[in-house]
Amino acid sequence: MIRPEEIKMSAEETGKWGMVINQDICTGCQACVAACAMENNVTFVGEEDSGYGRSMHWIRIERFWEGEYPEVKMTPNQPMLCQQCGSAPCEPVCPAFATVHSTAESLNLQVYNRCVGTRYCANNCPYQVRSFNWRDYERPEPLPNQFNPDVTVRRRGVMEKCTFCIQRIHKAQDKAKSEGREVADGEFTTACAQACPANAIVFGRVDNPQSLVSQLAHKGHGVKHLEELGTLPNVTYFKGG
Amino acid sequence: MTEKFSRRDFLKLAGLGAATSAILTGCGPASRYVKREPYQQMPEYNYVGQNTYYATTCRECAAGCGLVVRTYQGRAIKTEGNANNPLNLGKTCARGQATLQGLYNPDRVQGPSTGDWDSAIQAVADALKNYKPNEIAFLMGMAPDHLFDLVSELASATGMNAPVRFGALGMFESRATLSKAAENLFGQAGLPWFDINGAEVVFSFGANFLETWLSPLPYTRGFVGLREGETKLRGAFVQFEARMSATGAKADHWVPVRPGTEGLVALAIGKLAAEARGGAMPRAFSSVNPADVAEQAGVELEALEELAAMFATRKVLAIPGGAALAQSNGLEVAEAVLALNALSDNFGQAGGVYLSGLAPMQTEYNRPASAQEMKSFVEKMKSGAFKVLFVHGVNPVFEVPASLGFKEALGSVEQVISFATFPDETAAEAKYVFPDHHGLESWGYQRVATGSDKPVLSGAQPVVSPYYDTRATADVLIAAAQLAGGKFAEALPFKDEVEFIETKVSALMAEADGSFSAADPVTFMAYFQQHGGWFKNVDARVSLDGSAVLNNNFKGSEAEFAGEGEFFFVPFVSPTMAEAGANKPWLQELADPTTTVMWNTWVEINPETAHELGLHDDDVVKVISEAGEVEAYVYLYPAIRPDTIAMPFGQGHTAYGRYAENRGANPADLLGAHFNEAGDITFGGMKVKVEKVKSAARGIGLSRLESTMGVYGDSLGEEH
Amino acid sequence: MIKSFFNWLKQPLGLIAVGIVFLALFSAAAYGLYTTQQAPDQPIQFPHKTHVAFGIQCLYCHPGASKGPAAGIPSQAKCWACHNQIVKTRDSALLAPLKDAVLNGESLEWVPVAIVPDFVQFNHRAHVAAGKNCEECHGDMTQQLVAQNPQVMNMGWCLNCHIENAGEDQAKLIKLTDCGTCHY
Repeated sequence: MIRPEEIKMSAEETGKWGMVINQDICTGCQACVAACAMENNVTFVGEEDSGYGRSMHWIRIERFWEGEYPEVKMTPNQPMLCQQCGSAPCEPVCPAFATVHSTAESLNLQVYNRCVGTRYCANNCPYQVRSFNWRDYERPEPLPNQFNPDVTVRRRGVMEKCTFCIQRIHKAQDKAKSEGREVADGEFTTACAQACPANAIVFGRVDNPQSLVSQLAHKGHGVKHLEELGTLPNVTYFKGG
Repeated sequence: MTEKFSRRDFLKLAGLGAATSAILTGCGPASRYVKREPYQQMPEYNYVGQNTYYATTCRECAAGCGLVVRTYQGRAIKTEGNANNPLNLGKTCARGQATLQGLYNPDRVQGPSTGDWDSAIQAVADALKNYKPNEIAFLMGMAPDHLFDLVSELASATGMNAPVRFGALGMFESRATLSKAAENLFGQAGLPWFDINGAEVVFSFGANFLETWLSPLPYTRGFVGLREGETKLRGAFVQFEARMSATGAKADHWVPVRPGTEGLVALAIGKLAAEARGGAMPRAFSSVNPADVAEQAGVELEALEELAAMFATRKVLAIPGGAALAQSNGLEVAEAVLALNALSDNFGQAGGVYLSGLAPMQTEYNRPASAQEMKSFVEKMKSGAFKVLFVHGVNPVFEVPASLGFKEALGSVEQVISFATFPDETAAEAKYVFPDHHGLESWGYQRVATGSDKPVLSGAQPVVSPYYDTRATADVLIAAAQLAGGKFAEALPFKDEVEFIETKVSALMAEADGSFSAADPVTFMAYFQQHGGWFKNVDARVSLDGSAVLNNNFKGSEAEFAGEGEFFFVPFVSPTMAEAGANKPWLQELADPTTTVMWNTWVEINPETAHELGLHDDDVVKVISEAGEVEAYVYLYPAIRPDTIAMPFGQGHTAYGRYAENRGANPADLLGAHFNEAGDITFGGMKVKVEKVKSAARGIGLSRLESTMGVYGDSLGEEH
Repeated sequence: MIKSFFNWLKQPLGLIAVGIVFLALFSAAAYGLYTTQQAPDQPIQFPHKTHVAFGIQCLYCHPGASKGPAAGIPSQAKCWACHNQIVKTRDSALLAPLKDAVLNGESLEWVPVAIVPDFVQFNHRAHVAAGKNCEECHGDMTQQLVAQNPQVMNMGWCLNCHIENAGEDQAKLIKLTDCGTCHY
């Protein structure tokens, strides 16, 4: 482990919440995808629409092939979700200010009631992690019974994406405040990290050098995807191997 | 008035007016008014506007993982793993997450097929009373255990046939072979327990332990330990299998051996490693010739030598997986791979092989029926020996390979009574359907068969009240037994299911080293619910004596294949859906970890082979075996042997709700009734033919998460 | 047909018809708007005023307000526990729906009047903890019979109060005016 005082935060690291994903131990089991869908009322779209690439996964597990048989290898599974960029390409292109930056939580917000469905943000996202509600997808009764009351149920014509489980952030902050203290590291986590059987996803405060996520992010050779675009992503990947 | 202003025009205008006022009022709060129903009586432990969390057990497979379910105002909102349960330590797999879509599935069986429960119980009582005990049979799934115990007690007290358990997962894991191999080598039947966490190197012969094999969550934890151990170097992982599984994709070396040669490869590596180490050659390896094996397996001899060098110098854990054992020589493969562990002195040591300990309230290892045993079960059905068949927790018409003739045999049984929660294929054939609650509405317990070093009894309790007019099968049986009277009533002297469970569970109060204790049964039961089960704080794994296993004489026999085709056939359990997930829409929409396909069945073919056959992505092909044929879309899979094709198991339902019905194909339809020495079906020992049915057409084909434009798309076919 | 219709509209009778149509539309719209401003029908004409006059605290029936997002509607068992004890209310015709619901195990369907749209995540606890009294948003219940919403609960109304509350505290202002505080 790295001692907190050894961690040097660069000036650009302005994030608050962040994630470390260890691809070496990610098994691609999809538990995070299912957990995310259950927590965030993410709809399923059916076979035809998912064939058109309209499935609503807020987190997906990417994998690529390298080489040819028999020397073929699958690259380490890469869970891809909104990187909660510090300087997000999706934000300046929204004509309705529905895709805005949260100063308080340093997250990229999607304000559903403002969204008019131009889809500019999704087109400008280099990570391709935004999904658009092309229809009012049917969730026949009694499936809506499982809706999480803390998360808005989106309707047709609205863009959506990973929120870092902002409802859990608010809940934890609210609880801590009611008890007159700060939110402790590891007190709560996102749905994907909580479900992950391999603990490949770690979530927490990146602006706190003491937190587990900061410790991990500054250990070894972490990669922030497409950092060269100046997006200042808040998710650090470890390929391992 | 020159023109008449017609009545019709007036109505149009009036309609416009109404529409305008509707639009205007639609903006007002009235359109937003909702109705709220308060609780009639607030349940215990609930608080207005607050979540209530209940500990229970996941019923999506039989592993017995603990869940904590978030409920809000009487609805189940989210499942999380129970950190108290030593098996899953707070984690869940995708199926555990999606269990809510089973609970609130629109296609559940909503009530007893007789209309009301009184007549249902009467029907069950009549079935018990009006037939001779040995004419009554129970076929049950691998979960839940409390119901199995109840039926076992009923059967043994009344002379009925002991309940038979079956599950497709157990079949694809070749559990009978694993258990028989352990018995042959170590004198004790049971499921081996592999300490991947403590190993330096893992050699897995087709074990998909990161997907569905035995108990995937603890094995995933073990895999993390292998890779990330704080005190040791990153462990290496080698996978031997003809088709790269999601587990194999995580391996450092993927060795595509020809199906059926896994045992030979294990022995050859053993021989080369023993040679490298020097000393006397163990008898076990005497019959193999590594050069011949390399040719038979279709791998380079140098590759085997390199792996053997690794084996000679490091501590290697060898694991036999389901597909490798599902061959005519499967038992020998299992024994050879297990014996290989003796070279690394792995028995009874950290990083080695143990036998899973017995769970609480268990006196001997109780394995599910093998396919061969299912065949004799089916024959008894056909011969009329079984006149009443109760089915619970399993869907044999779908899960038992069609060649065994289960569906046809159902016609020879006078009364088939299904307790299915979902309208599955078996329920469709049954005379009565008396639906059980969903797992999240149920009481129960489940013994953890393997995966935890501790003996664990996972406890289940209802987290929500039943959504439909369903009834716990245990309650139905107890009520029917009372109604039938006589020895039936004596066999089940319980008020209800809960009393039965309390009686069973409170017997654990006397045990030492429990995770909790209590002075009286009521408190003990309350703790049992609160903790989501009970476990014993001892290492119950059985240390094995492997000193003699290398003295065994292995014949090194070759696998025999059934059928005429030119391709080896690898059916594998869908990692995301497993055997019973197809009715949950989000499991359907999860991308397969290796192919990223959603919502359908595909046939994996090596791109080179496909090119030779003139096949492209999304062409429809017919796969033909000696037992049957199925149609599915082609998927050009870069990580499969050119002489092998593979298909996932989990789809191809003809019933089972709107999300599963008439979707994809069932590769179990291709399996002929051939068994290995331990009685497992040789699902890896089929040869199949492939015939093109239709070319890919625009707008038709597999839905995938990956982009189809790319490395292994159709471009390969065009370039060559 | 269309041409002659427009010609007809220019004649006195036509002009009168146009006037009638506009009047009809206007009054329909006005009536529509009027209905939206009325409190909805409730299963029981619940007089808040009477209950407050007996000294019953808000949190006795709506205890969720101090603990979490939802204030909650009391369970019928809670209502009946008191009313069953009072001879006058036990057999009152006004309370017959409650009695029926309790005895038959059915639910009363209340219509909440102070609601925000689905895309707003409102938390009572934070507001109570910030020292807001119930009546600041819900009006003076000592004066109300059937509950009515005293104000239009729109975003401007929320934000005015948030900005006022933050005062000079810049960090608080950022937090209280952040989109993500209420919308997710």
